[in-house]
Amino acid sequence: MTPVPPVGPATVTATDLSLRFGGTRALDGVSLRLSRGVTGLLGPNGAGKTTLLRVLATAVPPDGGQFTALGHDPRTSSGRLGLRRTLGYLPQTPGFHQDFTAFDFVDYVAILKELSDRTARHSEVRRVLDAVDLSDVRGKRLKRLSGGMRQRVALAAALVGDPGFLVLDEPTVGLDPEQRMRFRELIAQAGEGRTVLLSTHQTEDVAMLCHRVVVLAGGRVRFEGTPAELTARAAGRVWSSAERAPHALAGWRTGVGTFRNIGDPPDGADLLDPTLEDGYLLALDGESAEVTA
Amino acid sequence: MTWHVAEEDLRAYAHGALTPPLLWSADTHLAQCARCREQLARSTDPVVLDAGWERLDAALDAPRPSLSERLLVRFGVADHTARLLTATPVLRRSWLLAVLFLLVTTVLVVRLADQPALFLALAPMLPLAGVALSYGPSLDPTYEMAVVAPLHGFRLLMIRTVAVLGAGLVLNGLATLALPGYGLLALAWLLPALALTATGLALSARLGPVLAPTAVGGAWLTLLAVAYERPHETLAPFTAAGQSGAAVVALIGALLLYRSRDRFDARPLGGFQGGGV
Repeated sequence: MTPVPPVGPATVTATDLSLRFGGTRALDGVSLRLSRGVTGLLGPNGAGKTTLLRVLATAVPPDGGQFTALGHDPRTSSGRLGLRRTLGYLPQTPGFHQDFTAFDFVDYVAILKELSDRTARHSEVRRVLDAVDLSDVRGKRLKRLSGGMRQRVALAAALVGDPGFLVLDEPTVGLDPEQRMRFRELIAQAGEGRTVLLSTHQTEDVAMLCHRVVVLAGGRVRFEGTPAELTARAAGRVWSSAERAPHALAGWRTGVGTFRNIGDPPDGADLLDPTLEDGYLLALDGESAEVTA
Repeated sequence: MTWHVAEEDLRAYAHGALTPPLLWSADTHLAQCARCREQLARSTDPVVLDAGWERLDAALDAPRPSLSERLLVRFGVADHTARLLTATPVLRRSWLLAVLFLLVTTVLVVRLADQPALFLALAPMLPLAGVALSYGPSLDPTYEMAVVAPLHGFRLLMIRTVAVLGAGLVLNGLATLALPGYGLLALAWLLPALALTATGLALSARLGPVLAPTAVGGAWLTLLAVAYERPHETLAPFTAAGQSGAAVVALIGALLLYRSRDRFDARPLGGFQGGGV
């Protein structure tokens, strides 16, 4: 598909990225452009989201293709170093040294980010812990914090050094609704003036946070555009029926007992207003079996 | 108060030039001693003083470093390096106790069975395993965050290797002291330990953090098995010729490791926690 131009100048440009693990093609010619603000990366499990994020975060080099982020080309050691100096990365499973306090952990990540001066480093650690509202628990050991708090500690660590490019891999997974809302606020704040790539499989995250969205499935980009454009793709392709529609791409029973179907509606179908989720399922197309199961 | 911060140290403190551990002592003392605070106020200009109070506030706010971290700083290790070292998984108490238990058991068996080869075979494997596990996804929960950080991966690897190797050699050394009857032979693990560790690390850049040390450990055990099958008084790796060979392998391994240093940054070892596609 033809990439849609981003809002504002592109800060991250990837061309034809590919990566294979054994017989699995995790990334298959991924091209995309990111600009400042929060871009959502949607896709089902196994779509290649985590692999793409790891490639863009320089944790894994691609087999083919290239990308630049904030003017840095990671194929050279100086470009890779430059990119890492302006990168904030929150992995899908951020590991913690459980005996560390929140302060210790962020301090440790700050050292990895080359902040060796103790005074300046501690000042930065306090700043990022304040930014995620964890000042009160900074002396507590990580093993005594809730999952939501630990996730915020990991976000604080990603924010150390005021990175220009923030890569967040499913940060809202496992959080209760209240924590998820709080986390969304933090991500929205982090997205001001930064390029943020947020991997998620929740369309609500995208609807609430993102000015752009990329749908990935089977290692390929299925859609790139605004959330409104993704929703608009489902206009006229969502309908209600009393029974499951046999030719629908996807269909599920709603709370009122009728079926909500997406695909090519039959003549005279009772059309419904599309949602972002409908557009997402349509973008998945051949991959939709998994999400309708 | 039985002591007060020296005037020279107070001036350095006010200018932000006092370094740990003296800085920590000054921080703690100033919070409790009005006399030193007055002295600090008199000896510095207000702007510098305000900056000093801010630093004091920040320092008191920061958690106290752990005992091991404080000890490292006392021995002259920079505080940021001390923090990197205390985050090394295999320097944690559980690992060190496991190694100690293994060594004590082996020493007891050696003394009962009069078979020093048991100890000499095991001792080189412990630093190899410790170093292999100290940098990589197996035991370091923060590995994925570390590999994308600007701190050079090879530098982190070397910091941890030196620390783990040092700890391993000290434990092995203590075990050697428990076998005085075997003279210099009881030290014949040292060069093989260096050879195995250097080779294991050099290969891990290409073969990964599991296969490389496993292959090297396997090769070591195979070598010992072959040597055992031949008529001997002392197993070949522990003779003068064997020790010379180990020294050469250690040097070649170190050289290969240095040559592949950039690979640790360009192609991290993978195997991240949580999997993911």
